[in-house]
Amino acid sequence: MTRARGAVAVIAFLLGCIAAAPACAPALTGSVGSAEEGAMEGVLVSAQRTGSPITVAVVSGEHGRFRFPAGRLSPGQYSLRIRAVGYELDGPQTVTLGAAPADIAIKLRPTADLAGQLTNAEWLMSMPGTAQQKRPLMECMSCHTLERIVRSHYTAAQFIPVLARMAQYANNTIQARVQTRVAPQKVNDEAVAKLAAYLATINLSGGPRWNYKLQTLPRPRGRATHVVITEYDLPRKTIAPHDVRTDAAGNVWYSDFVENVLGELDPKTGAERDYPISILKPKFPTGSLDLEADADGNLWLALMFQAGLARFDLKTKTFRVYPVDAALNDDAMQQSMVMPRADHVDGEVWTNDVARHAIMRLDLKTGKYRRIDPFAFLGGGHAHAPYGMAVDAKNNLYFMDFGDENVVRVDAKTGAATVFPTPTKGSRPRRTMLDARGHLWFAEFAANKLAMFDTKAESFKEWEAPTPYTYPYDVFCDRNGELWSAGMASDRVLRFDPQSGRSVEYLLPRPANIRRVFVDNSTNPVTFWAGNNHSAAIIRLEPLDE
Amino acid sequence: MTSAVRRTMVWRCGLTVAALLAFCTAARAGGQITFGDTTNTSANDGPPFFGFVRDGDGAAVGDARVTATVKSGGALVTTSNGIGVYKISGFAKSIHPDDIAISCAKDGYKEANVVRRPSSPGDTTDPIEVDCYLQKE
Repeated sequence: MTRARGAVAVIAFLLGCIAAAPACAPALTGSVGSAEEGAMEGVLVSAQRTGSPITVAVVSGEHGRFRFPAGRLSPGQYSLRIRAVGYELDGPQTVTLGAAPADIAIKLRPTADLAGQLTNAEWLMSMPGTAQQKRPLMECMSCHTLERIVRSHYTAAQFIPVLARMAQYANNTIQARVQTRVAPQKVNDEAVAKLAAYLATINLSGGPRWNYKLQTLPRPRGRATHVVITEYDLPRKTIAPHDVRTDAAGNVWYSDFVENVLGELDPKTGAERDYPISILKPKFPTGSLDLEADADGNLWLALMFQAGLARFDLKTKTFRVYPVDAALNDDAMQQSMVMPRADHVDGEVWTNDVARHAIMRLDLKTGKYRRIDPFAFLGGGHAHAPYGMAVDAKNNLYFMDFGDENVVRVDAKTGAATVFPTPTKGSRPRRTMLDARGHLWFAEFAANKLAMFDTKAESFKEWEAPTPYTYPYDVFCDRNGELWSAGMASDRVLRFDPQSGRSVEYLLPRPANIRRVFVDNSTNPVTFWAGNNHSAAIIRLEPLDE
Repeated sequence: MTSAVRRTMVWRCGLTVAALLAFCTAARAGGQITFGDTTNTSANDGPPFFGFVRDGDGAAVGDARVTATVKSGGALVTTSNGIGVYKISGFAKSIHPDDIAISCAKDGYKEANVVRRPSSPGDTTDPIEVDCYLQKE
């Protein structure tokens, strides 16, 4: 069925080409090579027209040939960029496209700064140390790359105040805007000292060179080169697109983790529009995290340290904001998640109270929140943290216990929680989606696995991510049953078929810090969307095969 | 050595391994930076539960769903391993162990019997063994 759909798409495309031959000719083709390797497969070639926020990238195939699909590059001057670890662009740096198609030969030369090209996953592969020592570094990636750590010259003693200072930063901090928590964060001195001692063994405090070999992941090959990737630069570096999704009209919406706006992107032109959200707590960090649609397609945002939820009406383009009640709203109050999908069932929306490791329900009629401790009956031996959320048709909640290793179901009527530990211990499940079959797909962040919880059979399946240290943040099951995932570490988008076990990893053109992933099932083949949280860009990835 | 003491020793050995594994778990808590600070205290925990899932012939039943249901609301669901053993960490100390019911299920089977072994009176940390018997349908 999948093959048939693919064949139909190819035939339709070819028929379209015959009808409009000039429009189908690729505007830019070429070859990529180097003196060291000759023709090179798996090199990402990006082209950005002068003054445009849109960059289009393709990947060279087996014989080093690349081809930008027709209609993607209009006439004009383009700057070129490449990504091939170990190499940099020798030339040409630009190309001018006119009415006629252009064919260029791109030459690469070895880079003098391999360290500047490594992904977080490659740093983790390279640095010595035990899994236990490396594990805290998962958290660092939330605000900055690991390159920042390994290029530092801090000794263990110098690291301690740095770590203590960073612990006071809000998690919606990026390098372009640091935000500080109002409620002080407790720090375990022993854990900090241990981490500081380790970090001083992997950075440049002992000399001008790293005392370990830098490891790299292989370039894309075969199917991983069959892709077009479009990056949309957003107008300000302080925009941190966290969750991205499309609406029924094909517009792209994103939550901004740092600024207090909801963003809209026109994928045809790259034009961006902000919808400002009222500031509820002026001295507190701004920005929102979870972006979800309710049954009517209207958008909901979890307002983080602004403490509350916001509903955006797509027709009127206006917000209704639901601040957390004053009685509950202390300095630590934080909503990272919202789940309004089935609010029509009982008039209630789910959210979380991060600081208290609890969940909350918003009564839409009264605007009041009610807190539920889903772990009240469990012992105190584990640190819990309700995170990614999904609901079934009866508005029963499923959430990920990101602090620990559980999927938890909360009954919408009684509030009773049922805890299902994942087969892998310490998995730290993060974001999730529930499909029509009742399969709850989720990323096991700390276990480097994708997983599925069958809500009917109450059983789990888990699949290891093919690349170590991927640390998947989220997973999306598309209409074909394939899984799409990404994260903050590997600069790759993972496409995985849980039936066959076959996977492909698409390398992205730039360092990418990806959180929520979204797949638009209305296109053929499907289209993957995500935000580049640290680089103020939206990523669209179009596989060329179904 | 009494069977209760032996059971306790086996369980405590398991807890030691679990504690070591938990120590390997680094920062957590919903995106809040803790730099490897893990709280793994069991001071607020009641006794853990463990036991075997077996069929009518006494053979181990692996991959059975074992549910511990709290009378006041809430449940934890785990799975028996290849030799039919399940383990459930402690519930909150405030919950009386008698208010926790163990049940088991597996496709093709029905629950036949649940046997709760006597525990040491007054010992709130001694693991509680509850064995569950399934019968083929």
